[in-house]
Amino acid sequence: MRYEAESITPQKAANLVRAIAVRRDREAFKDLFNFYAPRIKSMLMKRGAAGEIAEDLAQETLIAVWRKADSYDPQRATVSAWIFTIARNLRIDRFRKDQRAQLHQVYELMLPAEADPPDVPFEAVERESRVRAALEGLPEEQVRVVELSFFEGIAHGDIASKLGIPLGTVKSRLRLAMARLRDFLGEDS
Amino acid sequence: MTITHHPGEETLAAFAAGSLDEPRSVVVAAHVALCPHCQATVAGFEQVGGALVERSVPAASRAGALDEALARLDEAAPPAPVIPEAAPDCPGVLAPYEVGRWRWIGPGVYWRKVDVPESEGTRVFMLKAAPGSSLPHHGHSGVEWTCVLQGAFRHDLGRYGPGDFDEADSSVDHTPTVEMGDVCICLVAMQGDLELRGWLGRLMQPFVRL
Repeated sequence: MRYEAESITPQKAANLVRAIAVRRDREAFKDLFNFYAPRIKSMLMKRGAAGEIAEDLAQETLIAVWRKADSYDPQRATVSAWIFTIARNLRIDRFRKDQRAQLHQVYELMLPAEADPPDVPFEAVERESRVRAALEGLPEEQVRVVELSFFEGIAHGDIASKLGIPLGTVKSRLRLAMARLRDFLGEDS
Repeated sequence: MTITHHPGEETLAAFAAGSLDEPRSVVVAAHVALCPHCQATVAGFEQVGGALVERSVPAASRAGALDEALARLDEAAPPAPVIPEAAPDCPGVLAPYEVGRWRWIGPGVYWRKVDVPESEGTRVFMLKAAPGSSLPHHGHSGVEWTCVLQGAFRHDLGRYGPGDFDEADSSVDHTPTVEMGDVCICLVAMQGDLELRGWLGRLMQPFVRL
């Protein structure tokens, strides 16, 4: 039976990326691949990518992790958030219809050059625990509409028919979830 | 730089998730590049994305996927794409795009095209207006998102200075006025055509498709 990791802590994931950065550790790569590749594939399929394409993009994502491991900055993002952005950019690049489309580059150009800008309100580790606390405090039905609306890019009306609930319920769930996330992500909380 | 107007959380969430179209994303990115507060919010939603990846039910990889990937680790990485520097009067996020020449569209007001592929009728351009000038009184047929790069304008909803983000939709009908002092330069994503009002607008409308 193929080994599939059940979970990974932020610290463990950061250590694995560091092992790749400092000594090109293939065992560390295997662990990251086993955990993330099937989940990235799943996420991409939920966004409408066909299985083969999602599989290829998941592989590209993990290859990029191997190549960019030494530029990973644990202050800025957890490994999961970093891998999410790599997959996001590869997906946007893969599905662009026009060669002039450059959004995948824009995301990188937008970031400040300094690794640790002095006015960043808090670091990745604290952000991770805030997000975890916020998601754990939210009813699953609210997390689901956040996922459908933002991360799967589905219009409110289509979410309503998909879940078989009124449009007003979609909107109120989103509003409640966003209010809670705002409280947890805000600088003042 | 004191930024007082930011994109809404829903906009930043969709942006972080990669669910906004390219024209609107570019204008949001121009703001985020200038705004540490929104950089943190976007990073927060990227962390939500990471958490959702962790929680997602794994889709089994095809047989041999790991070996396939391992075999590729020693391949040379493809050369990184060369992105030209952004023009001196353009924000850095416009570096990958062609930017047109400034065109006169009215007294003290200039317009230039930014070659971001149009999406559902939304296009990107820059607007430059002299201090004290009034932009034509206008309404919109769709969204109009603006990031101020330099100078400042005012309308009913407040003052918009460098870095400020104005997220207007078709319900907004306004006459922005440029403050005295600096020339005002904005990056705009606009859906549909600007509906110019007033005598100047009616005069200009046939000549410019804004």
